[in-house]
Amino acid sequence: MHPRDRATRWVKSGLAAAPAPLRERRPEPPQLDLQPPPDAAPRVDAAELWLALHLPALCLEAVCPQTPSAEAAAAGPPWAVLDTGTGRQRLIAVDAVARRHSVEAGMSLSSALAICPSLQARVRDPRCERLRLVALAESSLGVTPRVSLEPPDAVLLEVRGSLKLFGGVDALCERLQLAARSLGLTLRMAMAPTPLAALAGARTAAGFLVHHEAQLVSQIAPLPLSALRWPEQTIERLAVMGVRTLGEALRLPRGGFARRFGRESLAALDRLVGREREPRRAFVPRQRFRARCDPTYELSNHEVMLRYCQPLLADLEQFLRSRQSAITALRCRLRHRPPLVATRVELRLAAPEFEAARFAALLAEHLARLPLPGPVRRIELRSGELLSLAPEREGPGAGSGSLWRPGEHGGAVGRETPALLERLRARLGTEAVYGLCLVPEHRPEACWRIAEPTMTLSQRPAVAAPASAAVAAPSTATTALRRPLWLLQQPEPLPRGLDGLQRLRGPERIESGWWDGHDVARDYYVVGDPQGAELWVFRERQPPQRWFIHGLFG
Amino acid sequence: MSSQASDHSLLDLLQHPAIWRGRSHAACHAASNTLSTGYPALDDCLPGGGWPRAGLVEILTPRYGAGELRLLVPALAKLTQLAPPRWLAWIAPPFEPFAPALAQSGMAIERQLVVRTETALWAMEQALGSGACDAALAWPRRAQVRSLRRLQIATERGRTLGFLFRELTSARESSPACLRLVFEPQPLGARVTFLKSRGGARGSLDLSWIPEGNRGLA
Repeated sequence: MHPRDRATRWVKSGLAAAPAPLRERRPEPPQLDLQPPPDAAPRVDAAELWLALHLPALCLEAVCPQTPSAEAAAAGPPWAVLDTGTGRQRLIAVDAVARRHSVEAGMSLSSALAICPSLQARVRDPRCERLRLVALAESSLGVTPRVSLEPPDAVLLEVRGSLKLFGGVDALCERLQLAARSLGLTLRMAMAPTPLAALAGARTAAGFLVHHEAQLVSQIAPLPLSALRWPEQTIERLAVMGVRTLGEALRLPRGGFARRFGRESLAALDRLVGREREPRRAFVPRQRFRARCDPTYELSNHEVMLRYCQPLLADLEQFLRSRQSAITALRCRLRHRPPLVATRVELRLAAPEFEAARFAALLAEHLARLPLPGPVRRIELRSGELLSLAPEREGPGAGSGSLWRPGEHGGAVGRETPALLERLRARLGTEAVYGLCLVPEHRPEACWRIAEPTMTLSQRPAVAAPASAAVAAPSTATTALRRPLWLLQQPEPLPRGLDGLQRLRGPERIESGWWDGHDVARDYYVVGDPQGAELWVFRERQPPQRWFIHGLFG
Repeated sequence: MSSQASDHSLLDLLQHPAIWRGRSHAACHAASNTLSTGYPALDDCLPGGGWPRAGLVEILTPRYGAGELRLLVPALAKLTQLAPPRWLAWIAPPFEPFAPALAQSGMAIERQLVVRTETALWAMEQALGSGACDAALAWPRRAQVRSLRRLQIATERGRTLGFLFRELTSARESSPACLRLVFEPQPLGARVTFLKSRGGARGSLDLSWIPEGNRGLA
């Protein structure tokens, strides 16, 4: 039987059996115990199994343009990454094409260029690397909730509980490989009961897989010391002593090792084999989305710009979906060549949204209207605050937006409602689209006002609804007299008074308003004109007692 | 006796869905998809007994504000009380819709959406096609047949009732709207002439506002 199979079986039986009792946690000793702990009882928590995702080519992948396939990459130019930190320009990573041209990591830039003049060299970008690492950690959250970053180039996942769900080690690894490939990253994975052992395995050996801590020491013994990333000096001193592998280091006497190489190193060895627990800092996903893209050339066409935005918006959708959230604001900044300031576009959505297609449609409307002072060099997207979608999607009307059109089968307000508002406002401006609202007042000009359209009233009453409901009753009670459907924005003078008009109803006196300075004193009449239309007219009570039309009974 | 029996069999036969008959077809198929106008006399003349639930209706008037809105108010009030709340859109209205009067006539104020725009037809198409409106009313400056056809298609897509108010002069132009009326105000009433009505009545109809006028006086 293959050892790995045996180990997997062990995992399965372990999962099927009752969970192992948790080891009681001792308070941390104030000082490191230099006496060898009893080997018979490894102290690692049996429930933990760590999967390390090591990114061997991260610094290269972070700065090089993405190529769709390995063949395309092979046909492209050779790439290399420089480190300028030490003052000398030295290559720290080269890709396969460059390696074929005999360019190696560690060369100086000038010698590499002498060998291969077509070499494309980029300076290392730690910020980009960090972003890639975070992206990988975020996508790994779909596999396990316990994710931890190991900067600069690794992510650790605790996967004991996930193995059964995802169908075993191989299926899980394949899933992670696929996710990493979609992010443009190359992964090397290793699994071990302690985080440090998994990391050491991932850094040095392919296919390092240990399920049980009883096998751990024997499995990691042959790994080179460099896997622990100790300082160069320490490794050299150990090498002089003839200690080159982890196994040899573990066999050294503890007291002497601590004296010579520091207690930190001894603690690292203890954590490696599980004699000491290693608490990991949990990875907390970002609460705002930020992304940018640097097109290969300067953009001035809206269509092309939108095409460059598409992958960013797709990322945004993925980001929001994984958090079950949505946003109502999205800021887009278009950077130009330096003297010009960046152009800002702000999308405001009437309702929380997470779909890339909707963002793209709105962005297209905004971009089409936008005057650009110059070509665009960089596009940045930044989301507003995240809003949880969970409570709104769970009610009895959940999913009705997608299954039924609004109005069918009692479906609640669809997401078309905010979509219409946004589309109209994107083209016509915010002020051009408004709702109405009643005000408890008796003057025609003051008894209504425009309001923000709030049609989320399906579930909870809109902001304006309580006021309007309270007002509607008294206003109909006090004004049993019919009001005109149309109101003129300004009363229009009737120079000839009621000449030629037929008085139908009235007068109705409406006056006062001293509290806001718009005092009125008017007698309103309903009159019919010869063509059969009904008008709402008034006469001022103050001299000169002019006549005005104020409304039409449309 | 035998003639009655044969009548029945004929009626049964005519119920067959494969048989198409102009007026009755519209009546029986549209009944569930229409909305009473609130004026029984007008209902009788319209195909299906009311405004279509989805479709474009053109109302031609000599001038705006002459009472043409009163024709729609009962139906609009009923629409804004329907269960899934949707907008009632006023696109490029000639005056300000007076909120207290709308509330008085039974419309839900919070469902009104006013759009001020020069491009009324574009906004109308968005409103009709979005599915977010129960009805949309528009007062376009001018309209070409092609853009009207787009509106008619949009009403079907969004299952929306669209009212288009136009000048009397456009009566001679052809239109893809499913219903075209001429509205002429008269003292205490109005004359409605049917220009185009799929399976409905032809000619004119005199309506009077008396019932509502009484209520106003009371």
